[in-house]
Amino acid sequence: MTRSRWVVLGSAVVVTVGALVAMGAIYLSPARAAVGPMPAEGLILPADTRFVVGLDVRRFVQSELYTTNRRTMRPESFGELEEKTGLDPERDLDQVVIAGGPSVASGRRQPGLVLVSGRFDRYKLSRAIETSGKGVTWKDHQGTTVYMFGEGRKGAEAAAFLDDDTLVFGSQAAVEGTIASRVGGKAPLRTNSALMALLERVKPGSTFWMVGDQSLLSNLPQSVPAPGGSDGASLQLPAVQNLIVTGDLDPQIAVEATAETADEVAAKNLADVLRGLLALGALQGNQKPELKELASAVSVSTEVNQVHVNARIPHALFQSLQPKKAAESPAVAR
Amino acid sequence: MKDASKPLPFGRAVGGVFDLALEGMVWSRRSLMMALLLGLPVVFGVLYRSVPVAKLPTQVTAADLYGVIVTVYIRFLVPLAALFYATALIADEVEGKTLTYLLTRPVQRAAILTGKFAACLATTLSLSLPALVLAFFLLTTAQGWATVGASVPDLFRDMGVVALALLAYGALFTLLGVVLKRPMIPGLLFVFVWELVANLPGYLPRFTLTAYLRSLLHHRPPAEGLSEMFGQVLPAALCLEVLTALVALFLGLSVWIFSTREYVMEQ
Repeated sequence: MTRSRWVVLGSAVVVTVGALVAMGAIYLSPARAAVGPMPAEGLILPADTRFVVGLDVRRFVQSELYTTNRRTMRPESFGELEEKTGLDPERDLDQVVIAGGPSVASGRRQPGLVLVSGRFDRYKLSRAIETSGKGVTWKDHQGTTVYMFGEGRKGAEAAAFLDDDTLVFGSQAAVEGTIASRVGGKAPLRTNSALMALLERVKPGSTFWMVGDQSLLSNLPQSVPAPGGSDGASLQLPAVQNLIVTGDLDPQIAVEATAETADEVAAKNLADVLRGLLALGALQGNQKPELKELASAVSVSTEVNQVHVNARIPHALFQSLQPKKAAESPAVAR
Repeated sequence: MKDASKPLPFGRAVGGVFDLALEGMVWSRRSLMMALLLGLPVVFGVLYRSVPVAKLPTQVTAADLYGVIVTVYIRFLVPLAALFYATALIADEVEGKTLTYLLTRPVQRAAILTGKFAACLATTLSLSLPALVLAFFLLTTAQGWATVGASVPDLFRDMGVVALALLAYGALFTLLGVVLKRPMIPGLLFVFVWELVANLPGYLPRFTLTAYLRSLLHHRPPAEGLSEMFGQVLPAALCLEVLTALVALFLGLSVWIFSTREYVMEQ
């Protein structure tokens, strides 16, 4: 073999080894058992789920944005919660997944279901629920204790530990259905092929993410006022068929949203409307320079019937967009 | 006894020309220069890993940097590599007045060009793909291995797009090399001037190669100027169809012109 062929062979070996290591990384990835960013336990959510929102609490809490703004971002009730239940959400929670059911318009309203994974002091938390009063009752449902809030009333809510690390709460029917699915070893969400297809398109590892079909977006406005439209003129917004949002907080706030419309023309229209709104924001730059910066931090592009919105917002810019505290004003005036 | 007047079978002829051309391409100053150029992503990866993260601007993440590197790789470095190798396939032989010796061998002209093009592709792929793979691992493992799995599909896609870019630009610049005596300047103009059309609105980007290649990538680094205003992503199926058709067209034309053209060597 000539020395040139050895060079080509060496290069092929590097690429092959790299590909094998990459395949190994997929195989050993903690997200392998899941679909996209959805943890494996999330697949027990109801089949008629219309949208799913996820938050990686660990990433969120460890982010620079949260650590530097912990005083303002941490709810005051966390201290009381820890005292009563032993649960410190910052320390003990790993992931929160919120699933939404069919919309009111569909006539089959199913309130949301929240799946929380983390480390719980089950005894202390159970005692806190049982002694909280407020019409709390509990029962055994297929071997799992279900705590009900307002049992018998319409829209009664419930909570249950699916295991030591997973807590579910939502409507009583939904919680009981989730317990039944878990006991039966079923994964109802897998049968929702539309939502599964959307979830598979989301990259695992984001701090927060959301996927939803058109029913999630049915309550959004169908039109926006046209620029200079004092006579009531408005721009018709193209209907969005589904939406995928992912985001990270470090080292800057990065949000990627993909909206799918009926066709290419609708996607272009929607992109134009969004670009117009960004341009309006940029025009406000004289009064508020941070708005101009924000507008330039967002980019809009189209891909056939999809509209991609990409925002990269530095923490400093995010801080400058926060409303100034009322207490600061008198001091400044003085 | 062997009949020397009978041309060698096409496959064997291609293999012979491939070996000869590969030896000349891999061990050359051009390859050294290209290795340095195409190895830049690895340099950036090593720099990123060696510079303390605290000293870097907070806006730069390893994943972002990898996305930017791949985009620049496809837009500038890969076309340049294809330009330097593919335009030289025939033009160098003409310039060095060695084409006559090649054409007097009992080898079909189509086999000569095919063998040389295959060697060009093998050389450029050997230089670019390992650099891309190494840069990927250097950058994506900066924060540990937990999130590498999620980025692996991007790596495979990027490798495919780099290969396709080398094929498409290589075929185009081979055609330039066959048609023109000095193809380097038109090639540079194509890469650095004409390809800017990809940032314009409407149907004009469809007359560039970079618009199709860029659309196949998943990385969307924040853009500025025209590309930010008119950024459009073409459907993947259309991109693959057009690029395949263009490669076939450019290579077919190159082979046809090279097979029928009379080359007169200057004295």
